[in-house]
Amino acid sequence: MIAVEGLSARAGAFRLADVTFAVPQGGYGVVLGPAGAGKTTLLEAIAGLATHVGGTVRLAGRDVSREPPEARGVGLVYQHAYLFPHLGVAENVAYGAADADAAREAMARFGVDALAGRRVGTLSGGERQLVALARAAARRPRVLLLDEPFGALDPRRRARVRHEVRALHREWGLTTLHVTHDFAEAGLLGDVLVVLEAGRVLQAGAPEAVFRRPASPSVAAFLGAENVYAGVARAEVASGGLPPADDAERVLVFEGEGLTLRAVTDREPGPCHAVVRAEEVVLARAPHASSARNALRGVVREVHQAGALARVMVDVAGTPVVAALTAGSAAELALREGDAVWASCKAHAVHLC
Amino acid sequence: MSGRLAARLWTVLAALAGSALLLFLAAPLAQLVASGGAAGLRGLFDDAELRASLLLTAGTATAATLLGVVAGTPVAYLLARRPFRGRALVAALLDLPLLLPHPVAGIALLLVLARDTPAGGALLALGLRVVGTPAGIVAAMLFVSAPLYVSGAREAFARVDPRYEGVARTLGDAPWRALRRVTLPLAARGLGAAAIVMWARAVSEFGAIVVLAYNPKVASVLSYDRFTTYGLREALPVAAVLVLLALVPLALLRAAREEA
Repeated sequence: MIAVEGLSARAGAFRLADVTFAVPQGGYGVVLGPAGAGKTTLLEAIAGLATHVGGTVRLAGRDVSREPPEARGVGLVYQHAYLFPHLGVAENVAYGAADADAAREAMARFGVDALAGRRVGTLSGGERQLVALARAAARRPRVLLLDEPFGALDPRRRARVRHEVRALHREWGLTTLHVTHDFAEAGLLGDVLVVLEAGRVLQAGAPEAVFRRPASPSVAAFLGAENVYAGVARAEVASGGLPPADDAERVLVFEGEGLTLRAVTDREPGPCHAVVRAEEVVLARAPHASSARNALRGVVREVHQAGALARVMVDVAGTPVVAALTAGSAAELALREGDAVWASCKAHAVHLC
Repeated sequence: MSGRLAARLWTVLAALAGSALLLFLAAPLAQLVASGGAAGLRGLFDDAELRASLLLTAGTATAATLLGVVAGTPVAYLLARRPFRGRALVAALLDLPLLLPHPVAGIALLLVLARDTPAGGALLALGLRVVGTPAGIVAAMLFVSAPLYVSGAREAFARVDPRYEGVARTLGDAPWRALRRVTLPLAARGLGAAAIVMWARAVSEFGAIVVLAYNPKVASVLSYDRFTTYGLREALPVAAVLVLLALVPLALLRAAREEA
């Protein structure tokens, strides 16, 4: 496992502050964050390469906070590979390999055995990345730290290597922490998602939970939620047909930016933000029959077709509400700019933070 | 005047200024080699004093360079890689000898290494006399040329991304092993170039050596000695051979750069 608690570390002028999260033994953690958030520094701090300031790093149950990098049992793959340019491909993979068999196996797994005799300077970006993965795997680490390792790969090779990394992680029960900019990659690979910004963890948890229930409007915006509104939530006088909320949850009415939305939530009334993912917004020509839904009347302002999806921007009392539809649904509705439309979403789909 | 014409005029002026400087630098050296080169090369065979002087120069410069490399490499690495309190002061101290007039450097060394000083006395007790010996020549060469090596080596280390060493550490290397297996090979070309520059500077040193050890005579001192004792004609062969000797490290540096 990787358990980081109150970790503060320094790399040059950058400072990582009070970072706490855990990836269970054999789990796959994904770190998302904007450029300059400290993602690489976080990996370096776990590997023991950044100056430790405070807090603890536990790997496989052992406190390694004061141990040197060579004693931590981590494999680190940087975005730029950092293959040793004075050595050949085979020498790079064998550099820290557990034994000769481990080096051979790692080269075969990542399909770089054919490159064994090549000089590093002759490799393409994608080949370098594969060799770097093989080099890290050949050491048989307990924890694998990946810093955007698929960045230089073409889409076909990316899918294959992603599969290999996932297989390596599964077969060896290898706890992995993976830095990426790619939301799809985060959703596809991660058991735990850590959102980092300016050296601090904004939120950590299961990817589904983080995507659906972001802890703050900045996390929501960073994770691509297009409908984020500021306002105030108050208790509803009568629940009027909404599904019964459990003990911890209640129905609140959110009002802000000209919208009124009912939300099933566990938070207290007060100032907050409402977040509705575009995929949760349904469009119709007529209002939805169920009172369990929030129904907002608006006018279509923009229809943007992108492959199999269409994004429709609806103007509701001067506030934009974005809906993501399948191309089929959009064609069926035959929406055009200026059309009147009803945008609806379930109260459970309105997240207050 | 049109912009294009002005640009052409500036190009011509720049070319003229550059050519004049090149001529100013090359003409005296070419004249020196043309006047004394043949006699100097002949002297390598029939002038025992010149031969001994050149061997002494090369030997002491090599010894000074080896000492500079051994002691200067760790300092250069620390300056390039590890932020520490007083780093700027250490860097300034290392650069200071480059700014001193060289006889001043010799006088400063004399104040520390003469036999009536604590350090000179201690070295004498160990059987090492500095003033007026090859050890003194090495000390003078080291003092004036080691800063050049440290500066070049520091740049060579700074050019190697520290993440290479970091990756080596995660692959099981202790710090020294990572330095030996990764950083030193990657910085080797730059370190070699810095050592060549140091050696060349040591060979050409005169001012500090002449204060600390006039005898035995290195080539620069011999050239000066013959000039003041016998005149220009006798000094020419030694001076010309020194110019030719300086071409050796220049060629080595050029070859290293082209290979890079």
